[in-house]
Amino acid sequence: MSWRFWQPALRREVEEEIAFHLEMRTRDLITDGFSPEAARLEARRRLGDIDAMRRHLLTLGRERNRTMHRTEWLAELWQDLAYGFRTLARNPGFTAVALLTLGIGIGGTTAIFSAVNAVVLRPLPVPEVHRVMLVSEYSGGRLGNVSVGNLVDWQAANAARPVFSELGAIDWVNLTLSGTEPERLLGARVTADYFRALRVAPLAGRVFTPDEDVPGGPKVVVLGHRLWQRRFAGDPAIVRQTIPLNGQAYTVIGIMPASFDFSTGTEALWVPAAFTAEQRAQHDEHYLTVYGRLAEGVSMAAAESMLKEVQRVLSKRYPDANGNNTVRLQPMMQQYVGDARGQLLLILGAVGLVLLIACANVANLLLARGAARARELAIRASIGAGKGRIVRQLLAESGALAVAAAAVGIVVAWAVIRTLVAAAPPGVPRLEQAGLDLPTLGFAFLMTGTSTLLFGLAPALRAAGSNLQGVLRTGQARSSSGKRDWLRQGLVSAEVALALMLLVGATLLVRTAIHLQQMDPGFLPQGVLTGRLALPAEKYQSPEELQRAFERVLAELAAAPGVRRAALATQVPMGPGGGDNGLIPEGKALDHTNAVGSRLRIVSPGYLATMGIPLMLGRDFGPDDRAGATRVMLVNEALAARLFPGENPIGKRVACCEGEPADPRWKTVVGVAGNVRSSGPTEEVQPEFFLPIAQTPDVAWNWIGRAMNLVARTDGDPMVVAPSLREAVRRLDPSLPIFRLETMESTLATSLAPVRFRTALLGALAATGLLLALVGIYGVIAYVVTRRRREIGVRMALGASTGNVLRLVVGQGLRPVLVGIGVGTVGALAATRLVSSWLRGVSPTDPATFIGVAMVIVAVGSVASLIPARRATKVSALEAIRSDG
Amino acid sequence: MPGPETDLLQGTLDVLILKTLSWGPRHGYAIGKWLEETSSEAIRIEEGSLYPALYRMEKRGWIEASWGMSELGRRAKVYELAAPGRSRLRAEITAWRRLSGAVGRILEARG
Repeated sequence: MSWRFWQPALRREVEEEIAFHLEMRTRDLITDGFSPEAARLEARRRLGDIDAMRRHLLTLGRERNRTMHRTEWLAELWQDLAYGFRTLARNPGFTAVALLTLGIGIGGTTAIFSAVNAVVLRPLPVPEVHRVMLVSEYSGGRLGNVSVGNLVDWQAANAARPVFSELGAIDWVNLTLSGTEPERLLGARVTADYFRALRVAPLAGRVFTPDEDVPGGPKVVVLGHRLWQRRFAGDPAIVRQTIPLNGQAYTVIGIMPASFDFSTGTEALWVPAAFTAEQRAQHDEHYLTVYGRLAEGVSMAAAESMLKEVQRVLSKRYPDANGNNTVRLQPMMQQYVGDARGQLLLILGAVGLVLLIACANVANLLLARGAARARELAIRASIGAGKGRIVRQLLAESGALAVAAAAVGIVVAWAVIRTLVAAAPPGVPRLEQAGLDLPTLGFAFLMTGTSTLLFGLAPALRAAGSNLQGVLRTGQARSSSGKRDWLRQGLVSAEVALALMLLVGATLLVRTAIHLQQMDPGFLPQGVLTGRLALPAEKYQSPEELQRAFERVLAELAAAPGVRRAALATQVPMGPGGGDNGLIPEGKALDHTNAVGSRLRIVSPGYLATMGIPLMLGRDFGPDDRAGATRVMLVNEALAARLFPGENPIGKRVACCEGEPADPRWKTVVGVAGNVRSSGPTEEVQPEFFLPIAQTPDVAWNWIGRAMNLVARTDGDPMVVAPSLREAVRRLDPSLPIFRLETMESTLATSLAPVRFRTALLGALAATGLLLALVGIYGVIAYVVTRRRREIGVRMALGASTGNVLRLVVGQGLRPVLVGIGVGTVGALAATRLVSSWLRGVSPTDPATFIGVAMVIVAVGSVASLIPARRATKVSALEAIRSDG
Repeated sequence: MPGPETDLLQGTLDVLILKTLSWGPRHGYAIGKWLEETSSEAIRIEEGSLYPALYRMEKRGWIEASWGMSELGRRAKVYELAAPGRSRLRAEITAWRRLSGAVGRILEARG
């Protein structure tokens, strides 16, 4: 190593060596009797072609230097790391705790990062996705879907003053793919511009042309990759063949690439939207999702203000249809990732806190060890190791620790990712694509490097900075002990603060989960089975046919053994279907400003009893509520309060859903149903109204997509009657699939899955954080006790009681804990605001939670200090005083 | 990269240099001189091939070089046998003994 520093440059080395040789040879030749002149010539002659040799030596020398630099560097690195590993192996206890701590921290952050990367960070496979906008109607703070009429008018305005290069729309529909096994698929109707706006080319074949996107156009379909693989074995010959879709032959014209299946939940195939002239003039029904690609050089704000202007005109022209809707743009990526972004980033933050606690812990362990090794380091320094060398050695130890921790962390990450993907509630887009991919591994190494610096540098510098002479004299790093203790206690305070933040968050979520679990959903889920059935428009055309078909299935089901009650409903709690309508009570002007928005449910008589929804007032529908009889409706309590505040709603009349001002088709309220949390326990109760299936307004069949839920109540396990439900449908039409066949109990559980999931996740993180903080507090107190053994011994010899000593030690241990609680409380007050949207039935600054958590931490801190404190009191005074420490 | 004086003896020259160094560190000129004298000039070492051989072996890590003082008080590059060079020498000696023994037996065989 030393020779590298005074090695002359290669050229000088070669020259000097040749010159030395010539000089020596000349001298020898003169001794042999040559004249000086002849000797010099003879020496050169014997060496041969000196220029060639010089060149040759320079080449060899350069190669030699390169090899040696590399081996030397590797050898030193290896030497330092090997030394680090040896040190770790010599301290198995320390190593195990540090590795486990860091492994959990690094593994946890890496796993969550992998999820964040898969869901949030990875761009959608759409070229220049940042230019693709979700274009929504916007009113009352909510983004809404777009009516076909509005889209057509926007497209016309855009053609005159282009702000979008394309403006396409998609409408998700359920389609039945028949064949040996009929299957209900999520598909989409799209305008010809949809694929062009996204600029995704098909894998095979082509996408729709504008000629195909017209009413009565050819029956063509584009397949998604996953469906193509699953149903058609990835056979490219399927293009130009026909497949039976909704009872009709559709020609496959193209297949989209695998990357276009954004997630497992996305649509499986596409058909042309082919809006009819009537639909194109319809501004009232808002159901399209519209995407626009910003034209070259047009900003999001400019495009939005252009559409707003158009929409202002449209709102004036169609006040009933558009109300005061305006337009809002949002990048597609943002819309696609949605809530998942905030949730995942928050969890990533929580895991980051755990990693910080882990780093603080390991830093403390290293500091403690640094103190114990002060004498060893001092000896090393006194025999000539420079401070730089010592720091490098300590960093190499940290490096060895980090390398091992990264290995543990990657194993932990792998396990956590698998658990996460398996346990996560459905609906997190693209989560299934999380894995140990290249960016994730990169992140793991970044985390490892950062934590090494965090936990390794301070102890190393601290050790190198201590007064080595003093250490040698006293055997301890006394001279800097004050500063060192300050650092160690600060680390404990930080750990406690971070753990408190995690615990407060977790406790709030646990209280939310308990609140939701105990909340009355408004119906009796036990013993109820539901299944969804949709009748294709091609086979069942008239409203009478639809009604007859559904009633026939219902009759079969009701007669099946084990079924106590059976009913039909367009929407069951937490299920899809239904729609919103504006209701106007009699006596008010038939004007949209008087309309109360409410959710429509079309049901068969007996639905309330079957689902276990209490009837609060009046009567349920009966067999006499047929077509042609008095039109009737049921309202839930929330709607009754909105429509008829402070009045008895029974007998009152309401206009809705059909008719015109001259004939508003009044419907008489005959009963009031209890409130149901139809969108799940986490959501507020919505106003709802019910119409009997026999009086379904003709237009409503299209609103509800000709789909109904079959509902059966049993006395025992509801799955027992599932075959009867299938059989009832098969008898009507064997080509019809039944879907969403589920018990209400499992539906309810599923709707709480996200709550349970994040509660469990944050709970686990908080528990880990608390455990790590406990280890940290214990470590510091144990260290303090060891250092003060002599003092404690003296105190006890002078008559201090065990109680006094315990109080002294525990008190000292609790000081940094109390500081941490103070800091953590402030942090938690700020941080819990981030989770406030997840909380139900508890406030983000709930005092009971904060106080409870603080008390738990004080208790944990006391226990952690008590163990070493008790050990201290067991030390005999004499022994303590005699001992060196 | 072949040197200007590459010949069949190059491997042999390497072994001879290693052997020379097995008695202790020496500078290049001393190595050449010692070889000359020991072989009673029966083997003629091309002086021009000596240094490339030394550089090559240094690159391979068989020998190590450092700057020291010559007997005349002049700065000189001194070569020293390294561990890989020592084991290399042992292997070469064994191989040579086996070869020379076999050749000797053949040459002295009586039909």
